[in-house]
Amino acid sequence: MKIKSKLLLISFLLFQAILFAQNNTTISGTVLDSQGQPLPGANVVLKGTTTGTQTDFDGNYSLDNVPGNGILVFSYIGYLTQELPINNRTSLDVTLQEDTQALDEVVVVGYGTQKKADLTGSIVTVNSEQIEKTPAANPVQSLQGRVAGVQIVSPGSPGASPTVRVRGLGTYSDATNLLYVVDGMFYSNIDFLNPNDIKSMNVLKDASSSAIYGVRAANGVIIIETKSGAKNRKPQIEYNGYTGVQRAQNVLKMANAEQFVTMAVESGSTADVQFVLNAMQRYGRSRINPNVPDVNTDWYDEIIRDGIIQNHSLSVTGGTDNVSYSLGTNYFSQEGLLDMKNEYERFNVRSKIDVDVLDNVKVGVNTVFSNATQYTPENSAWFKAYFAVPILPVFDELNTDATPIQYANAQALGYRGTQNPFPDMEYNNNRLKIRKLLTNIYLQTELIKDKLTFKTAYNLDYSALEERYVNLPYNMGFGDERISSINRRQNNYFNQIWDNILTYNDTFDQDHNVTVMAGASYRDEAANQFQATGSDIVGIDYETSWYLDFADPLSFNNNVGENNRRIYGQSYFGRLSYNFKDRYLLYGTFRADRSSKFTQDQWGYFPSVGAGWVISQEPFMKNVGFFDFLKLRAAWGRLGNDNVPASAGANTISNTTVDLGDTPVTGITATSTFTDLTWEVVEELDFGINIRAFDNRLSLEADYYIRDTENAIMPVYIPIANVTVSRNSGVIRNSGVELALNWNNDISDDFSYTVGANFTTVKNETLELEDTRGYIDSGSAEFRQRTIVGEPLYAFYGYETTGVYQNQAQIDADPVAQSAIANGQDIEPGYLIYRDANGDGAITDEDRTVLGSFLPKFTYGGNIGINYKDFGFSMNFYGQSGNKILNRKRGEIIFTNDTNIDADLAKNRWHGEGTSNSYPSSAGLRDSWNQKLSNFWVEDGDFFRIQNIQLAYTLRGAKLKGVNIPDFKFTLTAERPLTLFSYNGFNPEVSDGVDRQTYPVPAIYTIGVNVKL
Amino acid sequence: MKNRKNSVIKLAFVLAMLLFTHSCSDKFDDIEGQLNADDLDYSATEDMVQALVGAYNIIATRGWEEPLLLSVRGDDVNAGGLGDQQPFADTDNFVYDQGYWMYNSLWNLHYGDIVGLNTEISLIENFKDFANEEEKAKADQYIAEIKVMRAWLHLNLARVWGDVFIIQTNQPDAEIAGGTVAKNDVMQFVSDQMDEVIPLLPNMRPNERTDIPGGVTRYTAYALKALANLEMEEYQAVADAAAAIINSNKFTLYPDYYNLFKKPGELSDESLMELQFSDYGSSTGDTFYHLYAPFGPQGWTPARENASDGWGFYEPSMKFIKFMLDRGETERLETSVLWTDRGIAELQTDPNYATLPGFVSNTTRDGDVINDYARALFASGKHYLPSVQLTDGRNNYGGGKNMIVIRYAEVLLMYAEALTRGATGSGMTADQAVNLIRSRAGMPSVSGVSADDVMDEKFAELGMEWGIRYYDMVRLNNYGELSYDGRTFDASDELLPYPQAQLDALPTLGGSSD
Repeated sequence: MKIKSKLLLISFLLFQAILFAQNNTTISGTVLDSQGQPLPGANVVLKGTTTGTQTDFDGNYSLDNVPGNGILVFSYIGYLTQELPINNRTSLDVTLQEDTQALDEVVVVGYGTQKKADLTGSIVTVNSEQIEKTPAANPVQSLQGRVAGVQIVSPGSPGASPTVRVRGLGTYSDATNLLYVVDGMFYSNIDFLNPNDIKSMNVLKDASSSAIYGVRAANGVIIIETKSGAKNRKPQIEYNGYTGVQRAQNVLKMANAEQFVTMAVESGSTADVQFVLNAMQRYGRSRINPNVPDVNTDWYDEIIRDGIIQNHSLSVTGGTDNVSYSLGTNYFSQEGLLDMKNEYERFNVRSKIDVDVLDNVKVGVNTVFSNATQYTPENSAWFKAYFAVPILPVFDELNTDATPIQYANAQALGYRGTQNPFPDMEYNNNRLKIRKLLTNIYLQTELIKDKLTFKTAYNLDYSALEERYVNLPYNMGFGDERISSINRRQNNYFNQIWDNILTYNDTFDQDHNVTVMAGASYRDEAANQFQATGSDIVGIDYETSWYLDFADPLSFNNNVGENNRRIYGQSYFGRLSYNFKDRYLLYGTFRADRSSKFTQDQWGYFPSVGAGWVISQEPFMKNVGFFDFLKLRAAWGRLGNDNVPASAGANTISNTTVDLGDTPVTGITATSTFTDLTWEVVEELDFGINIRAFDNRLSLEADYYIRDTENAIMPVYIPIANVTVSRNSGVIRNSGVELALNWNNDISDDFSYTVGANFTTVKNETLELEDTRGYIDSGSAEFRQRTIVGEPLYAFYGYETTGVYQNQAQIDADPVAQSAIANGQDIEPGYLIYRDANGDGAITDEDRTVLGSFLPKFTYGGNIGINYKDFGFSMNFYGQSGNKILNRKRGEIIFTNDTNIDADLAKNRWHGEGTSNSYPSSAGLRDSWNQKLSNFWVEDGDFFRIQNIQLAYTLRGAKLKGVNIPDFKFTLTAERPLTLFSYNGFNPEVSDGVDRQTYPVPAIYTIGVNVKL
Repeated sequence: MKNRKNSVIKLAFVLAMLLFTHSCSDKFDDIEGQLNADDLDYSATEDMVQALVGAYNIIATRGWEEPLLLSVRGDDVNAGGLGDQQPFADTDNFVYDQGYWMYNSLWNLHYGDIVGLNTEISLIENFKDFANEEEKAKADQYIAEIKVMRAWLHLNLARVWGDVFIIQTNQPDAEIAGGTVAKNDVMQFVSDQMDEVIPLLPNMRPNERTDIPGGVTRYTAYALKALANLEMEEYQAVADAAAAIINSNKFTLYPDYYNLFKKPGELSDESLMELQFSDYGSSTGDTFYHLYAPFGPQGWTPARENASDGWGFYEPSMKFIKFMLDRGETERLETSVLWTDRGIAELQTDPNYATLPGFVSNTTRDGDVINDYARALFASGKHYLPSVQLTDGRNNYGGGKNMIVIRYAEVLLMYAEALTRGATGSGMTADQAVNLIRSRAGMPSVSGVSADDVMDEKFAELGMEWGIRYYDMVRLNNYGELSYDGRTFDASDELLPYPQAQLDALPTLGGSSD
């Protein structure tokens, strides 16, 4: 029996060999793209078998032993697959066409990828080409105006990160940071990433897309993939760089000396007039107008400079048979507009290597090391430059007490403060050294070929933030003296995530496509801060002694502190996606998260479901010619936010010191109320439609969403105890519509264009809150912001003005004014008229109302792109409306009414009947009646901006002395060259809407080069 | 076979990876970097005093606006700060704004501290559970001290708002639900509490205490009892409580009135309750300061260079100055007022005051020159620390200066007033009490003092201090005195309106007082 079967086997094998030997052939050829460029790494497979190969660096392939009557399948990601019969040929060249339908386009979803056509949620992908157009330290800046539903508020200061809001503001806490998932690791900021290293940014806008990241997804998730190499590809060396200049835009015009003096005289304040006289005595009289001092300082002009920005990246990518790699380095530097030590510099090294160690086992490691130094600005200078009087010079030789620099001091003229912004800029040095190491190692194995994959990945993020704030000693005269001190802070963050993921995908009966993923994850986030302040530094004149060792040891007393935090998280999650005939789509995810931050129920459960109907795949749509793709989708999901301060769960003890008999004695105090929190939960419903039509030239994506934060953690004021405790007590709703529309047309090989537009509406509303008062106050008492049910979070809260009293008769006739006068209030022509909202005949606290929110109700963006031969032109614009800005700079007059104001207010003040019906008189500005928070101080923040203009030229196939030189791409970029707005400030981009010392956002003009070897 | 074995290993590996995370779950229970109150070792009873020290920290940590708002309405003082904090100036003119943040802040800080003090009491009670007999007595004494501090805060609240809550726990929901208590009942509560704690407190002057130098003693409690009864016009009880202090023979007036309010006068034999502040004589390192700048002049040339000036928010009134000049006051007027040339010139526009005594000068005894500034004509001398008394390297206005809350002079004058209003004295006579005060101030003796004489003496002796003058005039319904310099005061102006934020937050506060 045994022998017989062996014989049978041998004969079978022989027979098979003979069969194969019969008409086999060797075939080779080249795979090219439509431009005639070779496609390395394209797949060539004999149909119906596993026999196949990949093209080499030059797009060449060769297959032995293929039957002459076989069929070869040529495929490459992003290109249409072609099947060609061999027909006993030995050579077969193929040109693959790009898949313009992009139906097979794959997008990154949480812990995996998915075909874009199969999505039931709302995900927007921004690719590297768009990201690289924006000259900025932080890549997320490039999303401004490009993605509907994402609001970016630009920072002005070098190295600072923008404020990013996805679909409104869903949390009361300041933990509004998005979750950035960079190659699997969680970050709350991506300021360490070089934009050139990013392959794509995928914004998961709706809850069903992001629910898989339950733990921190509530503020939105952006998944970032960094660039990888590719197997069997020649090393490609790429240099990418730009350099440019940054200029302050729309610099606020201040009242000049003459206007200022006019205001001072009109104020009716003898003191103000005296100060002007003092200035004339000290600095002389102007020869043009002898009633004005001979000083006319434009403070903004003095403190602003142009800044240089530059970025240089060098990378090499490629791969061999079983290894792919991408290595690179990057240098970025940016100077600030503020004329002090204010700059940012970053040097990055990165490597990403993937290795097939076995047929079905792949490992990879990805490392980014980022070393940045940031000198932060002294933002008080922006504020002081607003109110510093123009009759004060920068330097004053008469101020002999001032050392080391003889800066002018406004106290010399009688003013209350020194005013001069220069000491703030010159005598402070704020350095941050930011070092981040991100590393990620994974192992992936196919347990069942093409079906079941297991991946385990360990991610770590080590960040060290070394802060050094040096207060240099100075004397400004008039008793304003400071001794030297240094504040040092050492912050260490060590975050680890370990993910284990099983993914199974299969197709049943041809029409049922299923992907199932299940995983577990463990997180550990440790943070430690150590800080100390020492003063009276020996050798402060030398930066080499800017160490605490040189401080007076006694000064450390009670000036040393340490904070520690360690949070653990544990998660199980899964995803199921199913589609039938690519027509009916079902999608579901589930995540169970545990966080040690919470002292109530630590577990949170975050499910999501989605469904889609690809109508265009229905047989009845076959004849509707112009639709290439039409999908309706709906999704619901629940997200968690644990990015809030850890809950205490018990009363806590802290130390205090008091003086008893001239001796410091330490005692203890305890809290009587404490936080006891659980998850903040966001639930969102999203309805969407995707359309592609007219040969895919038109694409439209529209969404309607309602996003509710249940259990929102909000401060609850406990009266009598006078503490504010966070409780899961609010409900916040964001709802709106998003629309993105694109038209692209390739008219010829030489000429193509795209036009796009997007808009977003966001309605932010407080639905519930727990407070006996029915509101939560924020802001300061003078500049109140209030959160009320039915209104946006942090709304500005004050009086509505209806005009300005023009004459005495008008005051006499107004019962509201008469009631105030009876109560002792003085009212003169030139005072504001307030609306008596409750109609009780008097202006009281009860008449206050919501004056608006800093959140825009409407944002829009657009782009135009034209490619003609080797030239490319693109332009983006962006705008927003419906938001308000508190002009807190003007508001300073409440506290110090003798200082300067902006030219608009100075010129347009009420100064006689009919001169203004919105601005009070100079005297009026000094009366408490006009100082109440009203819409005089709260202005419209609408703006329209040309966000980015880029002109590109590619030099192709040029020869120098007969030698081929590589392709060069040159770019000229103008970022934010023009912003139009009515707000009386520098800058309508104020993240929290309170413009006191907002850093102006510069326009940036750069020239760039890209070359690939 | 081999293949199957492989898959089993693979599967086991995968499952192990997936489930490994379970083993880490014990880390979820503790919170790093936090000390829970329940975890404190209460059996270490020697640490009990730390809770008392915490209470002294609470009582001494006063917002800058608190003493200002408590006293600004008196005819001894005006709001300065022209051009800043306009509603504060309105308050001085009896135009009240219940939305003004200072009102809310005074309420919040006072009540928040009352709750904080109650928490300290509960900490001490935790220690007491583990204490021996001697330590138990200590615990009772500590709690008694804290009750005196708490009583002072209640007294202030009732003086300002009339009907207020009495809070004796740190979970005051029930007390809030019970509603406010009439002003007189709050004063009665203060008086009763003092009766309860007097036997538990040390029988010594505050400056005789070595464990807590300057801490509360039974005489502090007697003084508070006298203050509460004065508010209730229970003059016999005032006289008795004051007599207990007088007859202890422990207290004397500090001989140098000017320096009583400076560094040399700190924790003197006159002091019954004093908030202590210091930089411990060191130019660097920790400080425990009150923010005196609001009291100070907004421009000066200090004798010690680089000493900072103040904000000019607190201006002795022209009425007070003229009153003092009319009486021929010297030391007390010099001590109470910092003069500017502009103020002096303004005073001299009244022909009755064309010639002024020599001490009326913009240069103080200690050589600080007060410059003219827009916000006010004068600044408070009792809240002024000469720049030469500042620690080297420290420039804060008044940095490290103590703040006297109750002093023996006030006790003597309360006693004298009670006697002149019909109470029976168990110590000295009213004349003797008043003359003690006058002789220290270099004023001639008087005899047969009337109640009005005592009130004038109080005005002269205690001007600028804690609104004592205002609450006296309100108690006596002497609205004429408060209607000065163009102001008109009537009964409706006595109390501040409850802060709007508190009306909104506390439904039982209803029936707004405005």
